Amino acid sequence: MAGATDISEVIAPDETFASMTDEVSSIILRPHRRIGWWIGFGIGFALTVLLATALAALSAIGIGIWGDNIPVAWGFAIANYIWWTDIATGGALISALFLLTRSEWRTAIHRIAETMMLFATAAGGLMPIFHLGRYWYAYWLFPYTNVMGAWPQFRSPLHWDFVALIAFVASIVLFWYIALIPDLATLRDRASGRIVRVLYGLFALGWQGSSRQWRHFRITYWTFAGLMTAEVVAAHSVVGLDFAAGMTPGWHSTFLPPYFVIGAALTALAFILLLIIPVRWGYPLATMITLRHVDVLAKLLLTSSLFMAYCYWIEAFMPFYGGVPADIWTINASFYGTYSFAYWGKIALNAILPQLLWFRPVRRCEPAVFAIALGVVIGMWLEYFLLIVGSLNRGYMSSRWFIYVPSFWDWATVAGTVGLFVAGLFLFLRFVPTLPMFEMRELIQRYRHKGDAA
Amino acid sequence: MNDGPDPPPGGAGHAFWQSLDELAQSPDFLRRLEQRFPDEYARLAELAASIDRRRFLQLTAATLALSGLAACGPAPIAGLVIPYVDQPEDTVPGKVRLFASALTRDGLATGILARQIMARPINIEGNPDHPASLGASDAIMQATVLDLYDPDRSKWVIDNGEVSSADALVTALVNRMPQLGKTQGEGLRVLTRASSSPTLSAQFAALTRLYPRLRRHHWHGGWRDNLREASRRAFGRVVAAVPKLDKADIILAVDSDLLNEAPGHLAHARAFARRRRELASGGRGNRLYAIESTPTVTGANADHRFVVAAAQMEPVLRALAAHIGIGPREWAGGAAPSWLPAVAADLAQHKGRALVHVGPYQSVSLHLLGHAINAGLGAFGQTLEFLEPPELDTSDEISSLSSLVADMHKGEVDTLLILGGNPAFTAPPDLGFDEALKRVKFSLHLATHVNETTRLCRWHLPRAQELERWSDARAFDGTATIVQPQIEPLYGGWSEHELLAVLGGAVRPQGHDIVQATWQGEAKRRGIADFATFWREAVRAGVVPGTRSPAAPVTLSPNIISEISATGQTDPPALSVLFRPDPWLRDGRYANNGWLQELPRPLTKLTWDNAVLVAPALAKERGLANEDVVAVETEAGRVKGPVWVMPGQAADAVTVLVGFGRRVVGRVGAGTGFDGFPLRSSNTLTEAPLRRLAKTDQKWPLATTQVHQHIHDPLHPGDILRFGTVEELRRNPDMFKGQSPQDSLYPAWPYPRYAWAMAINLSSCIGCASCTMACAAENNIPVVGKDQVLRDREMHWIRVDRYYRGDENAPTETLFQPVPCMHCEDAPCEVVCPVEATMHDHDGLNVMVYNRCVGTRFCSNNCPYKVRRFNWINYTKRDPRLDLAWNPDLTVRARGVMEKCTYCIQRIREAEITADREGRRVRDGEVRTACQAACPTEAIVFGDQNDAHSAVRKRKDSPLDYGMLEGLNTKPRTTYEARITNPNPALAEG
Amino acid sequence: MAAVFGPSANLAMKLVLIVGALGLLLLYFGPWIFTRIDYSTGVQWAYPQPVPFSHRHHVGGDGIDCRYCHTTVEVAASAGFPPTHVCMTCHSQIWSNARMLEPVRLSLAEGKPLHWRRLNRLPDYVFFDHSIHVAKGVGCTTCHGDVNEMPLVWRGATLSMSWCIDCHRNPAPALRPKNEVFNPNWHRTAKTPSGQALMAEYKIDPARLFDCSVCHR
Repeated sequence: MAGATDISEVIAPDETFASMTDEVSSIILRPHRRIGWWIGFGIGFALTVLLATALAALSAIGIGIWGDNIPVAWGFAIANYIWWTDIATGGALISALFLLTRSEWRTAIHRIAETMMLFATAAGGLMPIFHLGRYWYAYWLFPYTNVMGAWPQFRSPLHWDFVALIAFVASIVLFWYIALIPDLATLRDRASGRIVRVLYGLFALGWQGSSRQWRHFRITYWTFAGLMTAEVVAAHSVVGLDFAAGMTPGWHSTFLPPYFVIGAALTALAFILLLIIPVRWGYPLATMITLRHVDVLAKLLLTSSLFMAYCYWIEAFMPFYGGVPADIWTINASFYGTYSFAYWGKIALNAILPQLLWFRPVRRCEPAVFAIALGVVIGMWLEYFLLIVGSLNRGYMSSRWFIYVPSFWDWATVAGTVGLFVAGLFLFLRFVPTLPMFEMRELIQRYRHKGDAA
Repeated sequence: MNDGPDPPPGGAGHAFWQSLDELAQSPDFLRRLEQRFPDEYARLAELAASIDRRRFLQLTAATLALSGLAACGPAPIAGLVIPYVDQPEDTVPGKVRLFASALTRDGLATGILARQIMARPINIEGNPDHPASLGASDAIMQATVLDLYDPDRSKWVIDNGEVSSADALVTALVNRMPQLGKTQGEGLRVLTRASSSPTLSAQFAALTRLYPRLRRHHWHGGWRDNLREASRRAFGRVVAAVPKLDKADIILAVDSDLLNEAPGHLAHARAFARRRRELASGGRGNRLYAIESTPTVTGANADHRFVVAAAQMEPVLRALAAHIGIGPREWAGGAAPSWLPAVAADLAQHKGRALVHVGPYQSVSLHLLGHAINAGLGAFGQTLEFLEPPELDTSDEISSLSSLVADMHKGEVDTLLILGGNPAFTAPPDLGFDEALKRVKFSLHLATHVNETTRLCRWHLPRAQELERWSDARAFDGTATIVQPQIEPLYGGWSEHELLAVLGGAVRPQGHDIVQATWQGEAKRRGIADFATFWREAVRAGVVPGTRSPAAPVTLSPNIISEISATGQTDPPALSVLFRPDPWLRDGRYANNGWLQELPRPLTKLTWDNAVLVAPALAKERGLANEDVVAVETEAGRVKGPVWVMPGQAADAVTVLVGFGRRVVGRVGAGTGFDGFPLRSSNTLTEAPLRRLAKTDQKWPLATTQVHQHIHDPLHPGDILRFGTVEELRRNPDMFKGQSPQDSLYPAWPYPRYAWAMAINLSSCIGCASCTMACAAENNIPVVGKDQVLRDREMHWIRVDRYYRGDENAPTETLFQPVPCMHCEDAPCEVVCPVEATMHDHDGLNVMVYNRCVGTRFCSNNCPYKVRRFNWINYTKRDPRLDLAWNPDLTVRARGVMEKCTYCIQRIREAEITADREGRRVRDGEVRTACQAACPTEAIVFGDQNDAHSAVRKRKDSPLDYGMLEGLNTKPRTTYEARITNPNPALAEG
Repeated sequence: MAAVFGPSANLAMKLVLIVGALGLLLLYFGPWIFTRIDYSTGVQWAYPQPVPFSHRHHVGGDGIDCRYCHTTVEVAASAGFPPTHVCMTCHSQIWSNARMLEPVRLSLAEGKPLHWRRLNRLPDYVFFDHSIHVAKGVGCTTCHGDVNEMPLVWRGATLSMSWCIDCHRNPAPALRPKNEVFNPNWHRTAKTPSGQALMAEYKIDPARLFDCSVCHR
């Protein structure tokens, strides 16, 4: 019956509690030299150093080291910010939403998704802070009592964004950590060296797996999942509002918030694929992260790409429908202007390329899926670059139309944030269970019973 | 490639001022200095000693008043309070005071009122009582303040490249005097720039009595030689022809920058604009035609601008004369363009109310033609009056210089005093001035800056800058002004009067006494008993009453026509080079002035560089594009420079702007532009045949502040820049009526007390950029340097946008639009700031709180007018000017904060507080923004629009008044009056 | 396998959490408190000066008017600081050779100004104007404290922005009849007109006083 084949796909039938736990925890507790890991981490670390240098230069000289100008006062920094928060929110959305829908395939990959969201937030969160002319006063956006008797402006979308971001960071860190506790306990109990056990013990917060702890755990975890689902949609919509609330041609439009959320789902799905495919190759987890997962994610990627295509259509249609001249130049500029490469790039990579996923063979061919996912991720970055630079360089005053040319430090910052993400990810693979063991056990358990029943 | 002002090594600019302070306090500083530069130590010690108590206290007091650069928070103990020992009676710390004086350009005076705070001139305003200013000021006058505070000014007396002392120089000079006396001054020469100083002429008179063989030469670049020569031939002598634009209905400008360069241009612009504004109110107004081969500001403001090939200028003007009925019929033949008859007819119909003005750079015969036509049009005594020339010396400059150089070569010159200027840079190379100068035994160069000439002279003496010295000068109409110092010489400089007095045998001469002596004589001649009052009043008012030049009776030489035919040029070259001084750097003497370097040129909008202006057609033909480096060659020499494709340039002429490419200059001017002077020879000073124009494979980035591709109509003129003709306006008086603001969800905010607002009249604006410069001076706007301008990061708060209409080879119209902050009542910038750093106040000002700004820059993204400026890096720290130069009345912005036009809020507050103390309202005109005060054409008006009688209210009630992009419902407080032109119906296009 | 943590670990962990929580609170309230204590605001802290000038003696004792030394307080932003000559108008006659006054005589002799340590200083981006405050009936002692009681002068108020705007929000309590502005001993009595009445008389509009542009340019 269908069920049986499902099992064989979501998780290999011969997996038992013991074998699964062994395989997952051995990655951490019994590391045999993995040269791949060192290379990956090395690259990530090197780029992180580049990021540190870029930020040091920024602190010493000012954001003048970037290519920003008047009219284009925002550049790469903000594009990066949206792109990374896209990945983060999307990751959170997928993890939380599909927990609520009890999707089997979610089990094996949600930890990777959450970790992705964690480091993406770290990488993206730097941007809005460091893009400030005087970032050392960033805390002024936080409402606190001070001897100036001054408060933030609550009408400003940037303030909403600040609040949303803080709430988002807080909740994803907790969500990720809570889901980690039982596994940390497992590691504590399986580890041999005393120090290792103590360390994992500390983080396990005295988890013993008593039924009372499990009850509390379930309530917290599921409640969080519920909250997160709403939270991430809200958070990313607010990022969309940053622009929608501005009167710059190309920004001043109500469809941006949903557009951003859809973008988030698309980017995140693509990014997860970018992560799990190498993990399948690099680690002995192919029996638990199966082609089924790739297939499901690919389908979702296709779906959200269709949503995205719809957004693009609206985006191109509305200016002409609205008939505001400035909006029309702006859209024309993105068709034919200096930055048209970004426009056609995003159309090709986000809307057209993913259509290949209609075909099952493509979905089952990991390199193909990997390539498509990579395309989408780049396409989405181009989209945000265009949204910011493409809109700002063509304002209302033709006398102030100037183009934006990124400087070395702009590129360094992009590369650097990627490095930060990669480095963090490799550390995660090394020290934290890649798969949620306790949930895998449930999964195996569940399918045992089905098997018996049959 | 240069990148503008480098970061001062350890803030050199700022360091010098500190050192003055330290000099007077810590001997330890001197010791350190002694170890490092032994020879400068002596000079410094002398300088330190020379700082008398009063000056020292002025300076220290200034530091007290100086609101500094570091934005530091309050600390329990914050530095020192340094009061006076003996406070001068009338000083009120921190109060602005105005002192009259004058600045000279090409030797002619323009009256100023210097705004002083704590004995420091902060910026310059025009003197309303002075005929050449009428209260207005131009960019160069504004920038003179920066020249004063330029840390690169010459500080030491130099003897053969060694630092020496003034006493040593005086001794050396005095030792020569007996021998000079014996030979009656044989071999004693003085080279001056153009000057109109009565004192100077009196001094020369005295010196010639002492040394009969003394010979005086003058050299100012030779730009006006043709003009003088023409005057000699037409009237038998040099007279000053002063156009009276208030009387002129029809003006024909022949390659003349009457409104922006001619002597008295501020007054001319004022009169022109007044007549222009009549048009809107149905008055007679005026009509301006321009024919020129390279664009000028005046041409840009013409109702009809005709591009005429450089070679065709003369034939065309002859044809015009012929059509009016002057000169032989055959002149009419040949190349008479289609428009010519109509223009001729228009001029002829307005006899007595028409005027032809020929620019100084044109040939003698063209000037003669101009005189002939004016005579024919009955302009003499009506639209053109002739006065006795105010200049000291009206002889031919080039012959004066070449005779000097010849004698130097022959070794007949053994003592040469060069009073200011930089002949080694500006003299035509074929004279060989440099070699000649090396042969002079005793050569002395008096200048504010060390320059190319200094290096070739035995002695160099620091000159007191225009704002530091006593002198006097005459305006274009002869009116004399006594030039009083605004501050004691910062570097102990001398004035030319003091130097000449030494030659006259005076010991320790004082500029004040010398100038006073001259006027004592004058007073005696006039029989004024109470000299003290006369003197005090003259100095205070900035104008000496009754000194206007008398009218010069002229009779046009009867055989002028034959003169013209005789001097007429034969077979003109296929291609020629036109030489023009850079609008701001002039002959290069402002090359180290960051304000002028960075101020966009009115037409090209270039900064930090000059260029070879090439017509679009020629560029197409030669495959040239902006920034291509070309080699330009004349028989005199060959230079390389970047191309700038110039709309409205004649296809048979390239224009080389000279004044850049200085070799010996301060840190600001170093490496800017290229030197065009080598192309000139002594007989081709303004125009030369072009031998070669060759494209090289190099590129030279040019920093322009307005992108060039949008050269045609502004994208939707209706919203940004509205314009029309008198005809259209008459047909439809409401053609410019703006949309009334749409309803808002929120109730409109009431402004019961004041409602500050600005109105800008586009018919009046001539695009001269005085407003931009005045704003920069008043509001501590830093110089950012070429590298930053290339990144579109210039900081000017009010920019002048320039749009063209029509074909780029002959644009039908050039439109200027000053754009400051609009102070929108519903300001898009305010709502998006997360920290409330930009807010609205109760008088409707959109205020910017620098110290609250964190630099999100969303406000700029959200500003439709793009008038906000951001401190991308620490521009203030990079700026080389002395700390003395900053205006203490407003914040000096730190790195990472946004800034923009504030309507000069410091002036508004000052007026409000005064009024409030006296329990009254601020009077109309009590607050004048810097841009308004500077504007020569009264285009900008500022005031309280609640006050029904205020000037700004009246402007805003005009049917021409509209708000820029008012469709966005921002409700701008800055509004514009549409531009009205007065084209000749007979020439109506299509 | 034996557990690495005994039962006591639970307690330890709880303590850690509590301490951590307290730490967070301190992180917020620490600066909050510090910025408000006299040590950092400078209120009540006197500092040695080149000459130990006593306002208590000159103002409280001799009853010299503030404007005798701070001459420009009614006409300019800066209240003005007495030049050495002002000191010597009296001290050339009385105490003309007190050792305490040596620096003053020296300053006059050498023409070098005295260097006083500045107590009241606003940041450079704040533009305070004495004249208008005095004209609107704000007394000297309202901001500078009971100067007539100070042997060595100290800061009378924090001069923090919130302190300024407290008064700009509600000026009434700070206002006096104009003739009492320079009286250090003035106290509100039953017959002094109410602050509201004075606000009306002086035409003070608190809403406008709250504009950023009142102090920041």
